Amino acid sequence: MNLTATEEGALALEEIPPFLFELVKAVPVRADSSDPRVENRFYPAPALDDLLVEDWKSLVHPELQSMFLSAREVVQADLRSAMELEDEFSMEIPADHMDAWLSALNQARLAIAEENHFGEKDLGEEISPDTSDPRSIALFQISFYGFLQECLVKMQD
Amino acid sequence: MPSVDIPEAETREQTGLASPWNVVVHNDPVNLMSYVALVFKKVLGFSKDKAQRHMLEVHHKGRSIVWTGGRERAEFYVQQLHAHLLLATLEPAPQE
Repeated sequence: MNLTATEEGALALEEIPPFLFELVKAVPVRADSSDPRVENRFYPAPALDDLLVEDWKSLVHPELQSMFLSAREVVQADLRSAMELEDEFSMEIPADHMDAWLSALNQARLAIAEENHFGEKDLGEEISPDTSDPRSIALFQISFYGFLQECLVKMQD
Repeated sequence: MPSVDIPEAETREQTGLASPWNVVVHNDPVNLMSYVALVFKKVLGFSKDKAQRHMLEVHHKGRSIVWTGGRERAEFYVQQLHAHLLLATLEPAPQE
């Protein structure tokens, strides 16, 4: 897989092998979780103050929900314009979509980590992707999404 | 003159509006260090060095106070940090 910055400031992903493209396509799907642990992580309490927590739930959470959804929708739209050529895929992340991708990738990484109860130790493990082991795939997915995030962060830095 | 029932107004007492509040960012094993530093720059307007310093404090000490000031602004920053999926809280700043 090749990643390059275009003259327009987009990130071009080229020659993506099918296995990795499946993972890229899964970003908005993995980010959209209804697991209560994921919900707790996405919408943490802002303070110990019960009144503020109550207000936060009714005022801030709907706004955050809509922001997270909107980021996933931008990613979905970019994925629809991906192209396949000789069993490899290519696509672009336009400069003005990078924040949405950073958010969706982060949502996906956090959701996978929460669903699998991954902690610092698990995430620090050396990864040898084993397609028959769901835990290994989940760890690889977090690592791969982290790699994409790093590229986007570098482009914004 | 007819009597008018005046409904009792429901009020919530909010104390400490004028006292300072800390915005605290907590460690999280999933968020990338480079991403956390980028969010500090975007949300709090930190320089690259300051963002890096606070990010490392979060990583090594488990938390960092990234801003201190009025409650309304503190709530705004916590909301922005939550929008970037960082674990942030606000707490009253200790008074001297």
